[in-house]
Amino acid sequence: MKLSNEEVTRYSRHLTLPEVGMQGQLKLKEAKVLMIGAGGLGSPLGMYLGAAGIGTIGVIDFDVVDQTNLHRQIAHSLGDLGRPKAESLRETLLAANPNVRVEVHDERLTRDNALELFECYDIIADGSDNFETRYLINDAAFFTKKPLVSASIFRFQGQLSVFDPASGGPCYRCLYSQPPPASLVPS
Amino acid sequence: MQATEVIKLVLGEGLPMIGRLLLYDAMKMSFREVKVRRNPDCELCGEHPSVKELIDYQAFCNVPLGVEEAEVFDGSAYEMTPKALKQLLDSDEQPVLLDVREPYEWDICRIEGAELMPLSSFKADQTGITTDTPIVLYCYKGVRSMSALQELKKAGFSKLNNLEGGIDRWALEVDPDMPRY
Ligand SMILES: [Zn+2]
Repeated sequence: MKLSNEEVTRYSRHLTLPEVGMQGQLKLKEAKVLMIGAGGLGSPLGMYLGAAGIGTIGVIDFDVVDQTNLHRQIAHSLGDLGRPKAESLRETLLAANPNVRVEVHDERLTRDNALELFECYDIIADGSDNFETRYLINDAAFFTKKPLVSASIFRFQGQLSVFDPASGGPCYRCLYSQPPPASLVPS
Repeated sequence: MQATEVIKLVLGEGLPMIGRLLLYDAMKMSFREVKVRRNPDCELCGEHPSVKELIDYQAFCNVPLGVEEAEVFDGSAYEMTPKALKQLLDSDEQPVLLDVREPYEWDICRIEGAELMPLSSFKADQTGITTDTPIVLYCYKGVRSMSALQELKKAGFSKLNNLEGGIDRWALEVDPDMPRY
């Protein structure tokens, strides 16, 4: 794999960092990252990953863009109202960096499709907004031995961690063995 | 920050957040880091896992809370459509209109003539209203007001109605000038 001249110029500030360099930029280009959720967390995540030159970005989200999303889900614009979020995010990423391949999965992540989907990627990034999906993602990442970069937000508080039992680290269940009672879960 | 972690993993550079949990509070603008150890009793990655394949996550996350939750209240007999409420408010038989949303929601929009009694501090025996007064309750979508209605019913109130679909449906069907949130 090689970078085109346009890519060399585009990523030149990466290429001159010793931590990245040409080898690192090629690793980014070869990498396949699956993002779950194209909302508040997924918007900036996807935009940064795309701009940085992650070669393949999978986006799974079954939701459509609503007016109440626009104030924080910055990948979507007025013209995207009613469109699938995954599709809208894809366009935003490609507008900034057409060298990226964005695979849209306009569906809900379920126990029936999770394992198969995770197998196609190297890293899983959780930007989901509910506990069912979070446990599903954790378990599916464990069974497929993929590192999971997990982020969550509630109001003004956020959490971030990497779960990778395959390299000896804990999983999400090590941290939270049980979901909170349904009555305490914000809707 | 999530993107940075992904990129570090791809590059194999730096110290990834494995075994560490970052807690961020925007209001305090504070960052706190806690260590997370692998739990040997973890049901997934522990020594004797019980989760050996993907499970039913909906059932797993809707843990039943106890007896009082099991009792299902059928509120359909109390529902009042926005149009019916509008007619009632325009008539001579004005009910007491109770808004059980929180103050920040009240500041966004409200139905004229309503009284604010947030569900978070709602006490059915301290409303200052007599039990034979006709009362219509509303909230954002009609769920919270239905639970306030149940409390009033238990406290002996007899003329209760719930605005079906809450103020959000009211804005759609009766008052198009009202902002929706
Ligand atoms: Zn675990």
